[in-house]
Amino acid sequence: MELLRQIFIEPFETMIALPDLLLQTLWEGFVSGTLYSLIALGFVLIFKASGVFNFAQGIMVVFAALALVGIHALGVPAYIAVLLTLGVMALLAFTIVRVVLKPLVNQPEIILFMSTIGITFILIAGGQLIFGGEPKAMITTELGLPTGSSDWEVGGGIVIFQHIDIAAALIAALLIAGLALFFNKTKTGRALRAVADDHQAALSVGISLEYIWVVVWFAAGVVALTAGILWAAKSDVSFALQVVALKALPVLVLGGFTSIPGAIVGGLIIGFGEKLFDLYWGSPILGGGTESWFAFIIALIFLLYRPEGLFGEKLIERI
Amino acid sequence: MNAHDTSFHGRMDDGIEPGKALLHVDNISLSFGGVKAITDVSFDVLKGEVRAIIGPNGAGKTSMLNVINGFYHPQEGSITFRGEKRAKMKPYQAASSGISRTFQNVALFHGMSTLDNIMAGRTLKMNKNFFWQMWRYGPALQEEIEHRKVVEEIIEFLEIETIRKEPVGTLPYGLQKRVELGRALAAEPDLLLLDEPMAGMNLEEKEDMSRFIIEVNQQYGTTIALIEHDMGVVMDLADRVMVLDYGKKIGDGLPEEVQANQDVIDAYLGVSH
Repeated sequence: MELLRQIFIEPFETMIALPDLLLQTLWEGFVSGTLYSLIALGFVLIFKASGVFNFAQGIMVVFAALALVGIHALGVPAYIAVLLTLGVMALLAFTIVRVVLKPLVNQPEIILFMSTIGITFILIAGGQLIFGGEPKAMITTELGLPTGSSDWEVGGGIVIFQHIDIAAALIAALLIAGLALFFNKTKTGRALRAVADDHQAALSVGISLEYIWVVVWFAAGVVALTAGILWAAKSDVSFALQVVALKALPVLVLGGFTSIPGAIVGGLIIGFGEKLFDLYWGSPILGGGTESWFAFIIALIFLLYRPEGLFGEKLIERI
Repeated sequence: MNAHDTSFHGRMDDGIEPGKALLHVDNISLSFGGVKAITDVSFDVLKGEVRAIIGPNGAGKTSMLNVINGFYHPQEGSITFRGEKRAKMKPYQAASSGISRTFQNVALFHGMSTLDNIMAGRTLKMNKNFFWQMWRYGPALQEEIEHRKVVEEIIEFLEIETIRKEPVGTLPYGLQKRVELGRALAAEPDLLLLDEPMAGMNLEEKEDMSRFIIEVNQQYGTTIALIEHDMGVVMDLADRVMVLDYGKKIGDGLPEEVQANQDVIDAYLGVSH
């Protein structure tokens, strides 16, 4: 009886009694949700265009952030360092397509997946070799990202908005919107969708698979760099960051591996869900710490009942 | 035609005179492991003609189309297209030199609308770079608008105005085949390869498709090579017919000659080899 009360009544009583706490939680959920969406988008782009589940997406986030901090440490101004890092990500995209994907074309998906695990280890080793393994501070102020916070008084309490969170949500949202528009409205976007639908037909109208692959891997690199900057601004740049990318897995299961809107909605659901659950149910009933696994439980439930996700293509086998 | 001219001409200017060979296939042999798909086949396609390739199932007809547009690379032989001789072609080269095709089992971009599918067919005609596309502004936007006009012409030509915005995955089979033809036409090909354009169609749809093929051939002067099973259609449409059986050429000539050829009759009636 007590447990039922804890599940169905108390959380909502708390929500009504302390609206500022609820708003604060929703805000934090929204911020991490946009970042999850962003990382998930990196996976979706590559998966759509080449059918490869890119295990290396997480380490690409770390690698991009390390490269940025490393280049800046050489005395390069922050914004130039960003441009140079974009160059590094473009080079990385080109190299991966040329050296790994192209020779493996027409191989089973599992082989391509394995190859991205290989890329992961090369990037870990390469990153440590070039930039060293110790955690570094993100160049937040140099990039002009705001610090400090604003308070907002609600119902007798206050909600705190960290300025960096506002900037993070804004930048992530802008980048997501930009990418979504680009891939829906331009010739390259059309070519990407064409490649995703039918490789042979795409080749027959003169679309170059290699070019499209470089474009999506570069787009995934841009996403990785942005996610790296925004996430590392809240902690620091270290190899532990790649764990964040693991959170993109449940987002993908939720949203569907091939859907851009799915990545966005999935990310927000996971972001809101894990914060709310942890505060109102996880901490009082289970003693906290639920944030690290809540998303995976949701993913598991989806895998059981709706494996194609909310927006994914339904898998129908024709007989 | 220069690169800035985006109006629809139906085909590129290939510089080959009508009646001369546009495509030469010489001594092509293709095998997959131990299986010989094509053995030493030569034929040509003259500019402006409708050339049919016929033969029983598994005769190597589709393999031949795949060789011509660069999906398969033959172990022996060469292909000469518009005077350029190649041992093998890449699909991109084939497409950019003016060969476009349709597929036996309709290979459309299923998630995309009719309009987007046909627009995708103009990929090689659009050359504004990534930078402009990124902002969807300036030259790239202008280019989208111009090519959209061309695509509207094709849509009108194929009488598919009403399904312009429909996702092609939801369309009936006959209309999908028509959209696929539209996508192939959008590239303004010199040589149009059609792999069983009437397969699975009812009589009315077949008549429509025949009419479109004839119109493309006559109105734009597009050279057409097609694979077809319906002998009635082949005899009506084709100027010349090549017959394959077990990967070998067993007949080549005018429709009535081929029809009278004893080897061809045997192949179709299944005389033992």
